[in-house]
Amino acid sequence: MDQSRRNFCLGFGAATVGAATLSPAPAEAVAAREGGDPAHRWGMVVDVRKCVGCQACTVACIMENDVPENSFRTIVSTYEVTEQGRSGTYMLPRLCNHCEDPPCIPVCPTGATFQREDGIVVVDNTVCVGCAYCVQACPYDARFINHETQTADKCTFCVHRVEAGLLPACVETCVGGARIFGDLKDPDSTVSKLVRERDPKVLKPEQGTQPRVFYIGLDPKFQGKVDGTPTLWRPSPQPHADAYAGKENA
Amino acid sequence: MMDTSIVEVINVTREVAWLPWAVQYFFLIGLSVGGVLLSLPGYAFAHEDWRKLGRIALLVALTCGLAAPVSLLSDLHQPGRFWHFYVVLRPTSWMWWGSIIIPFYVTGLLVYGWACFREELQEQGRVDSRLAALYRLAALGGGRDDRLIRYAGLVVLTGAALVALYTGTEVAVVRARPLWHTPFLPLQFLATALAGATGLVLLLNRLAADGDRDVERVANQLLAGALGAVMLFGGLWLALGLFDLERTHADALASVAGSEAWRVTAVWAVAATAVPFVIAVAKPVGTGLLTGLIAVHGAWMFRWTVFIGGQTVPKTGAGFYEYALPAGPDGLLGIVGTAGLWLFLLLAITAVLPTPRRAAPGLLYPIAAE
Repeated sequence: MDQSRRNFCLGFGAATVGAATLSPAPAEAVAAREGGDPAHRWGMVVDVRKCVGCQACTVACIMENDVPENSFRTIVSTYEVTEQGRSGTYMLPRLCNHCEDPPCIPVCPTGATFQREDGIVVVDNTVCVGCAYCVQACPYDARFINHETQTADKCTFCVHRVEAGLLPACVETCVGGARIFGDLKDPDSTVSKLVRERDPKVLKPEQGTQPRVFYIGLDPKFQGKVDGTPTLWRPSPQPHADAYAGKENA
Repeated sequence: MMDTSIVEVINVTREVAWLPWAVQYFFLIGLSVGGVLLSLPGYAFAHEDWRKLGRIALLVALTCGLAAPVSLLSDLHQPGRFWHFYVVLRPTSWMWWGSIIIPFYVTGLLVYGWACFREELQEQGRVDSRLAALYRLAALGGGRDDRLIRYAGLVVLTGAALVALYTGTEVAVVRARPLWHTPFLPLQFLATALAGATGLVLLLNRLAADGDRDVERVANQLLAGALGAVMLFGGLWLALGLFDLERTHADALASVAGSEAWRVTAVWAVAATAVPFVIAVAKPVGTGLLTGLIAVHGAWMFRWTVFIGGQTVPKTGAGFYEYALPAGPDGLLGIVGTAGLWLFLLLAITAVLPTPRRAAPGLLYPIAAE
């Protein structure tokens, strides 16, 4: 059943009980939070087995958030994996992890980026000076400089939609139901159940950021920096052709 | 053994967010700090043997120290909002500390520079010229005051130490970039800054002073020392990474070790350190232009490699990002513009205070202590 789109309702289950498997944020991080409803802790579970790599989420995000050309708040990283002579495609939707201990926030010299009480990490682009320190500090390459506002930009979990009781655009549009969004403080929410029962993984756990975007079916080879051949944005197609030939001979 | 190959088909390329402006800033502020340190024996400690070298070092400190904040401001994508730094308390951010430290350092540097040059301002004020009154005004009716220089030197030394601390730490705390996140990085910044500053002293000794051979010899010896420190830190960095002795250094090395371009860069960096070191030791006189140029180049290249190179290492994606230097303000123009500003500052200061020091027209006798 597709819990991600049908049964989402902001008003339900405003329980303050934390999910058992989630450790709390450091005291100072919580203290610095402002805005948002502390009764909720928004999070996402991505079931990569259901992702078909259609990039509908990528497009929906751009349309919803007016993301400038050549910039992305979310994208489905797609890899061709060959193991023992058999090739397959691996899809990994990436977005801001809305970490419990976000490394982008303490480095901000102006307080433009902050975490709301509901866990969503946002940027006030009327305050941001565009120093890009947060861009450097994010271990997930989730932040970038928006060249229309000349400030730091990132996924907001579509906070404007969530506050209106709607799902984030990427979740709303996901064809395969791979993105599941909900309240981690509500023990009955789908995301809470999945986190409790399916032992989902997070990206780069060694960074200690405690992401609140979880992945079901996350291959360890894709958990950190991917060790592979980059093919995109290469000025010459030659390296790709060479790598491909080498792989086929292997 | 399972044979797995991964080819990235779709991913985003994150562009460089700290621009060549940042390289220029870290380069110039580092050279300025080095210049301050090299000027202290001659001025703050009043060792006359070090006075000539100290004067050139002071030029380095002032010209680089005044140009640096301009390039830092330009690195902000919203430079007009710089005042946002000053209406908040953000002690968790090393950049915020930097916004406090930079004005402290630059102000201290200006006061120190004025205190050191006051003697020359007074001398120029004695010349029968229309500008003499302005010089007298600038000297505030006084001359050489070693106590004042010493106190100002103490302040600017504190500022310089804070700049060295914050610039190094600001980058080293970025855990998301293994290449930056090593305890050695601040030391490497400092050592290369000292080498670069000494290199610029050697260049200016020829180009903006009288090419004194004693200054050249001493500066080349100092350069050899600084380059020795660069090689020591570089060697320890490599050893810690290569033999997996320390995690952060192993991660830093691993993040770039697989790249041919990075290996070439490493060989180049070793050559840019070892060659001037050997020349400076073997022939400290008559080689200042060469060793100085290579040393300045090395200090700049280190920062370019750390910042621009470091940002071409994807945090999640495969391989490396491509970087091509843009021609406009975000690239070449920024580099050339900063260099131009530095040159202007050098011309302005040496126009007001003629370098090499010479008797001002109208004086019948050479200026004292020459």
